[in-house]
Amino acid sequence: MTPVSSRNPNHVPHILLMASTDAEQYHFGTNGEAKPPPPKKQKLCSFISESEIQSEFSHHDASVARINNGSFGCCPQSVISAQQQWQLRHLRQPDGFYFNDLRAGILESRKVICSLINADDVSEVSLVDNATTAAAIVLQQVAWAFSEGRFDKGDVAVMLHYAYGAVKKCVEAYVTRAGGRVIEVDLPFPVSSKEEIITEFKRSMERGKLNGQKIRLAVIDHITSMPSVVIPVKELVKICREEGVDQIFVDAAHGIGCVDVDMKEIGADFYTSNLHKWFFCPPSAAFLYCRKSAKFTDLHHPVVSHEYGKGLAIESAWIGTRDYSSLLVVPSIVEFLNRFEDGIEGIKKRNHEEVVKMGEMLAKSWGTHLGCPPDMCSSMVMVGLPSCLGIASDKDTLKLRAHLRNHFGVEVPVYYRAPKEGEVDPVTGYARISYQVYNKAEDYEKFRHVINKLVSDKFCCACLSV
Amino acid sequence: MASPDGKHCRSQTNGEAKPPDSKKQKITELITDDEIMSEFSHHDASVARINNGSFGACPQSVISAQQRWQLRFLRQPDSFYFNDLKPGILESREAIRSLISADDVSEVSIVDNATTAAAIVLQQMTWAFAEGRFEKGDVAVMLHYAYGAVKKSMEAYVTRAGGRVFEVQLPFPVSSNEEIITEFKLALERGKVKGQRIRLAVIDHVTSMPSVVIPVKELVKICREEGVDQVFVDAAHGIGCVDVDVKEIGADFYTSNLHKWFFCPPSAAFLYCRKSAKFSDLHHPVVSHEYGNGLAIESTWIGTRDYSSQLVVPSAVEFVNRFKGGIEGIKKRNHEVVVRMGEMLAESWGTSLGCPPDMCSSMIMVGLPSCLRITCERDTLKLRAHLRECYRVEVPIYYRSPKEGEIDPITGYARISHQVYNKLEDYERFRDAINKLVSDKFTCPSLSA
Repeated sequence: MTPVSSRNPNHVPHILLMASTDAEQYHFGTNGEAKPPPPKKQKLCSFISESEIQSEFSHHDASVARINNGSFGCCPQSVISAQQQWQLRHLRQPDGFYFNDLRAGILESRKVICSLINADDVSEVSLVDNATTAAAIVLQQVAWAFSEGRFDKGDVAVMLHYAYGAVKKCVEAYVTRAGGRVIEVDLPFPVSSKEEIITEFKRSMERGKLNGQKIRLAVIDHITSMPSVVIPVKELVKICREEGVDQIFVDAAHGIGCVDVDMKEIGADFYTSNLHKWFFCPPSAAFLYCRKSAKFTDLHHPVVSHEYGKGLAIESAWIGTRDYSSLLVVPSIVEFLNRFEDGIEGIKKRNHEEVVKMGEMLAKSWGTHLGCPPDMCSSMVMVGLPSCLGIASDKDTLKLRAHLRNHFGVEVPVYYRAPKEGEVDPVTGYARISYQVYNKAEDYEKFRHVINKLVSDKFCCACLSV
Repeated sequence: MASPDGKHCRSQTNGEAKPPDSKKQKITELITDDEIMSEFSHHDASVARINNGSFGACPQSVISAQQRWQLRFLRQPDSFYFNDLKPGILESREAIRSLISADDVSEVSIVDNATTAAAIVLQQMTWAFAEGRFEKGDVAVMLHYAYGAVKKSMEAYVTRAGGRVFEVQLPFPVSSNEEIITEFKLALERGKVKGQRIRLAVIDHVTSMPSVVIPVKELVKICREEGVDQVFVDAAHGIGCVDVDVKEIGADFYTSNLHKWFFCPPSAAFLYCRKSAKFSDLHHPVVSHEYGNGLAIESTWIGTRDYSSQLVVPSAVEFVNRFKGGIEGIKKRNHEVVVRMGEMLAESWGTSLGCPPDMCSSMIMVGLPSCLRITCERDTLKLRAHLRECYRVEVPIYYRSPKEGEIDPITGYARISHQVYNKLEDYERFRDAINKLVSDKFTCPSLSA
């Protein structure tokens, strides 16, 4: 274990029982099979230190200012080690693993999630690969409803214009193809208040019901991806209920660990969140919550196994031979989180405060602005890039991003915002910066400096090769 | 060779390291027995692991290669996504294309497992029914011994959409290809009885339980003669276990797992789709931004996940090339030894094999003494657990219900596998365990529920 260096010289280091990197932590079942240690409630005398955090993420490329946790997330060494223990168990004796360990391990992960998200019952919690898979599950069920005549051709599905690309394609593949009509809610960006979003959403509800058709489904992002804004989901779900929308699906790919996730509070029928983005899971894992309801018992995992018909949660626990280890380490992650002051709530709060601070620092240095007010962002914030960089298309954002990565060691996604008519010298490019526990002020200072350099070098996107 | 110490990594201009390429190697030395045992030293040495068929095996060199890919992602995931993932998957697909004699790499998609491949093929049937290309009542044919997950998939996607499913009854024990061919022809006749079209035939290349090699080439030919629309060969046990030449076999769709007999880590499989204007409409059910770019491309990105098991195919090829005759040599020796072991067991127990040697692959069904009184499927699971816990033998067991008039029939068959890590002692331990159970007058009913 790494030596504890503490900010407070009076701290007495306490040996923490970490997620098992140490074989002695194993205990053995009656048939001689080893089990990884169960998660324990810990009496903490001290929290994780700065150098321990850096050590947990020492596998990150230290030469990169990694300010894009939002895209692919991150996973600390202790959890990677726990995952490798699970993987080894399978490789060592896969039949024993399948018959004795797998189901119990998945159930334990599901119980932890159930508790974290304030769901009523563990049967409401399924574990899947990612939010993309969860969307396919929800939308395939809509396709069946159309082809089996429960929905009429032309019935409507509503989604946000800023919905994730994969979800839009999924809606095309399963809803449009099956005869549904899709309405996109145009949202302003930059945005200055929740009310702007609520107003646009209400308008789209009206459009949806125009020809007397029913709105069968609303797909609402909890946090949009690009541009990233926290959507007032609770209010929008309420509007959907008032308007008689059949099914409400909240896509919170960035949910858990980034915003407050309380299923009963939010009130949607379906809610999915990735665990590998902001919850320190290895790639990849997500949960799909399905509110217990007589109405929607018909969700199925598209990969059908012998568990077909036993409910989505059980179907998802076995979709053929594969590596389930990323789904099994959820209890180990809870152990990791408990090393931080106030656990995941504390992490969330501090990430938010830091990313706003960094965003404001960058906007001030570049003479630009943030894409939304601080209370509408989470652990990510959109920061306007100087307009002289000449970002004029989606392609430019990819070129600029690659340029920043290859020449300056900065990893950050860039969003193109088409200028509206009449705008003078508009900001057309926004960087989505993230803040996670491994980030440091230097990461953002590096980014600030690089952009200032590009500006003073009179760089523009048009001069980058294709 | 794939090296765990990173020395073989080379840098690109932006400082990113790539795992070593797969190379055609001049093998001057073949892998030794010691090296083989070392490659599989992570296996539980206390277990006679004679069930490679269920979950496969992965050697340490390939695990190490996989971990290098995983580390690349963890280290800088954005760069991995933009620079490394697609070329890596393409290299794996090209390696498979070459192994299976497919014409074009666009015909090769990599997916998680054969179960996923089945869902892809069958979901497209659902759309065909829903969009009126197929009519309610049109038929799909599959073997009675089709894998449980595939049967459920047929129910979920074909029956539910209005299709009618026929099962081909196959005899077991079986003594010749002709028995299978005859039953198959009979089933096709039944399928066409009301003038309906047979839209799909799902044919196992090697059935799972009981395990028998099916004469797929002949059955595909019959399907063509009978005008079956689509022929899908489910070869979960295909590559590394039987000969896989997709042009020879002639099916429209062919899937095989790579983690069972081709040393990939869990899990990876390929789905071959013959280039054909007729069936260009296959989609991965998990829809990403690649939707509409063709199944192979769709399958390369189904959201953030660990693709490392799909990226190590070239490393698995390097591994098999350390053996005499490569994968062909491994296949041949596995088959010879498993037959010999099966015959040894059957002789010791006074039972019989489930099929002739030329109808088995790297697995064989060996009859268990009838005095053990295996009377239902539940008994097979109880006996299997008993063998695992009390004798440290891992072997799946099949229940074969007796036919009327049979005297003292064999109702239980063990499916033994042979893979490069197996030793004679594994099968001797199994032989002795069963003989002990017999002499102890053990019966399945005596095991607790």
